[in-house]
Amino acid sequence: MIRFDQVSKRYEGGHEALSQLSFEVATGEMAFVTGHSGAGKSTLLKLIALIERPSHGDIVVDGQRLAKVGRGGIPRLRRRLGMVFQDHRLLMDRTVFDNVELPLLIGGIAPAERGRRVRAALEKVGLLAYERQLPASLSTGEQQRVGIARAIVARPAVLIADEPTGNLDPQLAVEIMGLFAEFQNIGTTVLVASHDLPLIKRMKKRVVVLDHGRLVADVAAEEVL
Amino acid sequence: MNAPAVTDKAVPRSERSQARRFAGWREHHGWSATASLHRLGGRPFGTLLTVAVLGLALVLPLAFYLLLANVQSMGSALGRNPAISVFLKADQAGAQANLLAGELRGRRDVAAVSVKTPQQGLDELAALEGFSGAVHALDDANPLPWVLVVQPRDGLDAAAVGRLVEALRGERAVDLVQDSGQWRQRLDALLDIGHRTVLVLAGLLALAALLVVGNTVRTDIAGRSEEIGVLMLLGASRAFVRRPYLYAGIWYGLFGGLLASLLALAIELALAGPAAELSRAYGGTLTLAALPWWLLLAVPLAAAVLGWIGARLVSAWQLRRAA
Repeated sequence: MIRFDQVSKRYEGGHEALSQLSFEVATGEMAFVTGHSGAGKSTLLKLIALIERPSHGDIVVDGQRLAKVGRGGIPRLRRRLGMVFQDHRLLMDRTVFDNVELPLLIGGIAPAERGRRVRAALEKVGLLAYERQLPASLSTGEQQRVGIARAIVARPAVLIADEPTGNLDPQLAVEIMGLFAEFQNIGTTVLVASHDLPLIKRMKKRVVVLDHGRLVADVAAEEVL
Repeated sequence: MNAPAVTDKAVPRSERSQARRFAGWREHHGWSATASLHRLGGRPFGTLLTVAVLGLALVLPLAFYLLLANVQSMGSALGRNPAISVFLKADQAGAQANLLAGELRGRRDVAAVSVKTPQQGLDELAALEGFSGAVHALDDANPLPWVLVVQPRDGLDAAAVGRLVEALRGERAVDLVQDSGQWRQRLDALLDIGHRTVLVLAGLLALAALLVVGNTVRTDIAGRSEEIGVLMLLGASRAFVRRPYLYAGIWYGLFGGLLASLLALAIELALAGPAAELSRAYGGTLTLAALPWWLLLAVPLAAAVLGWIGARLVSAWQLRRAA
């Protein structure tokens, strides 16, 4: 579950990226956050991952009030999140397997269990055959799927993705979104920031629309045309 | 196969997760140690340069220590029984010499006195290379005086020897007193300065080693800032991120220290030949002082600790900035 309650974020220099934002994504729900460039989508995700702190308001992620999370608690919170980035953020000098294994290594999971879970995650995204390859030898779409496998391998309660289909062709973008929808079906809360309106419409999920940091529309899944 | 499962269930959940956390922590230490070693091996030239700089910096105090130990050892061997040569006035005859020798033998600060006749002195002089011609030129005239060789009692301190020398100079029959132990006192004073210099040098070079490792780790961290950013986003703690760099510091220090110990052994071996020659020249009384084995082991270990400290200081600062 993700809850924003009257959240504002003003950066140094005075730019207000989010203003009085309130919304909630229930446990096991998938939602899109959309808006034009600079609407505040990325800032919203950064606040969830505690990359940034809000200037005002309260955020709750998976039952945890972020205002109460100190510097030492940030890694623990992030271990409960799965994050997918537009630029994948893969370690290019490590194999696909090693990249996907990272969250489990950080979480102190036993080696045998790590191997099992990494292969299961790679199978889920259709890349099991590439486990020994370096990311650079994969296509952009495949690299994004490695990023997704890494995000889901530790079975996070919340999955957030920032423009995960930004560099992908439409067909591949639909496949990736299909993967996110599958995680929603197993109880993961999924929040995807995207400005790809045709894709969002096609997915028929809840859509939160931002404009200049303000919530301008919150469209339920069944209302998406 | 069922037994372990039953045992597991008997252990409280909190203890099991604590044991798993500890196992994970231990496992990550193993992973960090091997991963950092692989990274060092992945850039052999840079690693060798750093290790060589550390080895050369750390071998300097060892080499000075070895040098001082040998000078001290030689000083002890050559100046074990510093004798005082007492030259009597030219008009003094053998009777006076023997009389004075007898008086001196009665002193508590004197161990032994031997009397050297002018003829014995002339014979010794003639035996010296280049002096035989000059001695023959004297014909039958012998200008050398009677000499008493006074051996102070063992364990006499410098002040007591000084008092003895003054007392000898005060004798009416004495022309000149030559204290061969004085050079030993001067050598001891110089060695004391040398020891302090080695300590200061060791401290400064240890600081240099710390800075070398710190700077190498700093550039390593700077070159991997992207990876560190990803690890932190995935929930890695600073301790987790820092661990491979701490091990890198330990490896740099350990290898640098090992190189220093090997170089010190090589210096010791190189000195062994000339030292044996010198020892033969002094009738086998000199032995080459070797570096103690514990020091050769302690240097790599201390260097590893220095590497760890350097890496820890720099990584803490760098990662705080990255966070």
